[in-house]
Parts: sequence; C-alpha cells; structure tokens
Amino acid sequence: MSESILETSGLSKAFGGLVALDRVDLAIEAGKIIAIIGPNGAGKTTLFNVITGVYAPTEGEVIFRGRPLSKTMSTSLVRSVPWFGGLSSSLLGTLLFFAQLNTPHHRARLGIARTFQNILLFGNMTVLENVMSGQHPRSHYGFLEAALRLPKAHREEESISLNAMKYLNLVGLGAHAEQNALSLPLGQQKLLAIARALATEPQLLLLDEPGAGLNTLEKQELSDLIRRIREMGITVLLVEHDMPLVMGLAEWVIVLDSGQKIAEGTAAQIQRDQRVISAYLGEEVE
Amino acid sequence: MLAMVRRKWTYLVIGALLAFLILIPFDWSLGQYTVLMIFIGIHTMITVGLCLLLGYTGQVSLGQAAFYGTGAYFSAVLSKTYGVDPWLAMLIAAAATGAFAYVIGYPIFRLRGNYLAMATLGLGMIIYILFNQLAQFTGGPEGMSGIPYLSIGGFVFDNSFKRYFLVWFFCLAVLLISQNIVRSRTGRALRAIHGSEAAAESIGINVTQFKVKIFVLSAVYASLAGSLFVHHLTFISPQPFGFLASLMIVVMAVIGGLASIWGAIFGAATIRILSDELLLTFGEWDVIIYGLMLMLVMIFMPEGLFVRLKEVFERLRLRYQQRGTET
Repeated sequence: MSESILETSGLSKAFGGLVALDRVDLAIEAGKIIAIIGPNGAGKTTLFNVITGVYAPTEGEVIFRGRPLSKTMSTSLVRSVPWFGGLSSSLLGTLLFFAQLNTPHHRARLGIARTFQNILLFGNMTVLENVMSGQHPRSHYGFLEAALRLPKAHREEESISLNAMKYLNLVGLGAHAEQNALSLPLGQQKLLAIARALATEPQLLLLDEPGAGLNTLEKQELSDLIRRIREMGITVLLVEHDMPLVMGLAEWVIVLDSGQKIAEGTAAQIQRDQRVISAYLGEEVE
Repeated sequence: MLAMVRRKWTYLVIGALLAFLILIPFDWSLGQYTVLMIFIGIHTMITVGLCLLLGYTGQVSLGQAAFYGTGAYFSAVLSKTYGVDPWLAMLIAAAATGAFAYVIGYPIFRLRGNYLAMATLGLGMIIYILFNQLAQFTGGPEGMSGIPYLSIGGFVFDNSFKRYFLVWFFCLAVLLISQNIVRSRTGRALRAIHGSEAAAESIGINVTQFKVKIFVLSAVYASLAGSLFVHHLTFISPQPFGFLASLMIVVMAVIGGLASIWGAIFGAATIRILSDELLLTFGEWDVIIYGLMLMLVMIFMPEGLFVRLKEVFERLRLRYQQRGTET
C-alpha cells in the first residue's frame, strides 16, 4: 500500500451522551477515490466535520500528510470559556490565533477542501465570484492593498479570475459565469460547489453526498468529473448513499455503522461482507 | 462592450456628482446649503462603514454612534484640554477607537443575528452614559465648547466654506477606499461570510478575523467623522451620539441600499435634508416618519431606495439605447 494522505487513530466524537464516532481508525491512500458508506446516522458527516475541523474530536487524532491536526481540544475549550470584558477577550483573541490549527479555515489552507450536503453556495454572488472566493487561501493581498488598489492587488486579481475560470470550465459551467449562483438548477449548483472547493487547490477533497438529487445522466457526468479530479492528483473522499454510483467509482470503500468502522475493502469485497449486509438490512449476525 | 458602456456611464455619473459637489458652496443660490452638505458628508462616512458591516458582511451594529462619539470626544478633549494638535488628536482618536473596536470585536462576534444587535445596542448605550458621567473629562451633559479648528500650516479651516471641502475630501476618500475593498479579494470574503459562514470557513476564510477587521474599519470611519464633526462645530455634547443617532445611521444605510457604497451619500442626504429642512414642523414627531420610512423601504424595496432608483434609471437608459440602434 502506498503512502496515506490522511489517517485517523482512535477518533471519537461524542455529543453529550451520544457517541457519533467511536474509535475510528482510517488510512486514506493518496491519489485514490475512496467512498464512505453507512446507514443514516452512522456518523459519516460527523467524520467529515471532525476531519475539516468543524468539531474537535473527543478523543484520538487526525493526521494529514504526517502532521497531527487535532491532538487537543484547545479550540473548543477556548471557545467555551466565558469572557469577562476587554482584557480577557483580547487575550482570548490571541489564544484563538494560536489555536487556529484546528479551525476549518486553517484546514482549507493546509489542503483539505469539502462540499456540503446542503451545497451552501454564496447566493449573493455570481457563479464566477463563487469560484473566485475559493481562491482565497491561495492569494495573499489584504485590506491595505485592496483599499489602495496597489499593483499587487491587480496582479493577484488577474490570476484569481483566470484560475477561477479554469475550474469553472473543468466542471463545465464556463458559459454561466456571470449568472447568479442560485439561478442554476440543482445539478449545476452541486458542480459549482465542487469547482469552488477545487479552487482552494486542495490535496484532499471531501464530497458530502455529491450524487443526491441528481438524475442518471448527471450522475454519469459527476462520476466522470470525480475521475478527472483524481487524475489531477487530488485524493477524493466521498460520502454517498447511491450504491451504483459508489460501486462504479470508488477504489476503496469504508463502511460505518453507529459510529464504528465495521468493514473496508474493494467494492466487490464490501458487497459480499456479511456485517455490511446486516447493517443495512438489520439482520442478526450469526 | 456592455461593460465599457457601463463604465463610461459610471464615470459620467461620478463626474457629475463631483461637479455638483464642487459647485455647491460657490453658487449663491445653493451656498446656504453648505453647512447641510457638511453634515451629509460626515454622516455618509459613518453610513459607509455600516454598509460594509451590515450590507456586505451581514453583521448588524446598532451602536455605530458610539464610535462616532469616541472619535469626537477624543478629538475634543485632546485638542482642547491637553492642547494636542488637532490632526494628531484626530489620528489618536481613530487609533484608539479602532483599538477599542478590535478588543470589543472578538467577544461581540461570538454572537449572531438578534443577539449581536442587542450587544451592539448595549455597547452604544454604555458609551453614551460614559459621555454623560465622565464629566471631569467630557463636560458632562452640558458639553464643552471652544474646541480649536483644524489647520494646515497657517491655513485655518475657520469657516464652513473651507470645512466643506475638508469634509468632502475625507468623505470621498472613504467612499473610494470602501469601493476598492468591496471589489477585491477582501470584499469577496466579506460577501462569502454573509452568504454562508460554514462555507466561507471551508474555503479558508477566517470568518471571525474578517468580521472584526471590518468592524474596526467601520469604527475608524465613524471616528474620523466624529473628529471632523467637533472641529466643525467647535462644541460637543453627548446628545448627537445617543441611540437615536445609531438608529438614524441604520435608516441612512437602508435607504441608500445596504450593499451599495455610493448609495450611502443618497441615504445620508435624504435623512439630513428631511431632518434639517423638511420635517422641522413636525418637531419631535419626525421620529415617526423615519420609522415609517424604514418599514416601507424594508418591506417594498429591501435592496434600498437608491438601488431601486438606479435600476429604473438603467432600464430607461437601455430602452433609450435600443431605440437609438433601431432607427
């Protein structure tokens, strides 16, 4: 097995008494398309949220390209501390600054991008602007350069819009660049969300139910697109309920049930796995 | 092609605006409005800050008058009581107000929506009470007078004619800077936060930091406006910095169009003209008119009166151009 881009060890996440993830060990191989499946409430989206830093894990850690990301719960601890006015708040601000390793925006900078089940496009922007905003972590000019229109801002703005157009064409939405993002039909909105995530130039792309709500033709196009993304050297990790889509696309399948990893293997192996079948159909394991 | 035509029109409109602004104090029939225009300029500066915060970033503040007030009081107290050069006082005021907004920004932006509105409302009230109670510095409710004018070298801004140009120089600079920010990477990040905070975080935007930064910028705008205000009136009292002032700034921003930088002039002008010229007969009752305007605009044209008028103008222009190409 080749080098893994993402690993989790003993990853747990509990919401009060509810254990959403229970000591999950994963090793995601670089350059592959990997699917995570499981019945509703199995913890798939929670896993995404822990990987992207939305939640801090209760236990265990996420290791991205050999670098541990969320060893501690510092972010959530700092967030839960009540504030007592000016001085302590600026102190909190400073602490938060150092704890940023665990926030989603920092993960995006490191090279982990994602899409959402409910898409979450920016409805107050055009299609192109949505993708341009995805270039945020790969551009640098700030308030001052923007305010004074310094040459650096001009140069970066040009490359941002060129790159954005490139990603837009990749998903086949180049012709709709100037439209409002929410004027697109659902299928194209999903493609746009993928383009926006790609614009952050990630090494690992997490897709949360990319096929939901798409028709057969759109699913076919989605599969082709995901393969093309893999060709670009980006590892794709997807959560999906559509079994034909998963089985046709994924090179490795991980099965979660009630927060635990119950099986993993190739699509063919998973289809024969007795524990997977019982998890889905509710049979007793002999 | 269309973009070029549009740009030409934009320049035309801005040129006309500039010409109008320059002519006002010279024209004998409009000259009487110079003082009114100074106040419009000052309020435009505060309104633009709120547009960036509320219209672009989606973060409400009902306490902008607090920053307007801290800017004004820092300038007044430093230049009058401590004899600091008014320009330096203005700079210190802006820096102090910005630093204050930064410190208060981190805890306050833990809050969202209605809770944020309540917290900023409370902030405004606390500051207003401080202006009244710290009488040994601020002069209390009676205020203080004899604040020096701004001056450059030997040139003193000692009449409204001179101060008109000073205020509008600052105002246009603030508008230009804001427009540049809106049309940049930063502006996209702000709008992304408005669109969806979770999605903005997922593409590497530090949501809290951007909220605080734009809050600080809006506070600095308000502070500069406050400094210009006291060096214009040379008198200060807490009255212009109360809750009503914060509310008026919201009304100005809404009428101008929340997500419209140049609309701020329109919003500020509408409200100032109404309150200074047209609604004097109503006395205290004018508040009802503002409330009614806010409601009507929010219900029938949530994008703002100015933006709606611009659309109508745009449509008329297109029709005119089409007729031109047909014949």
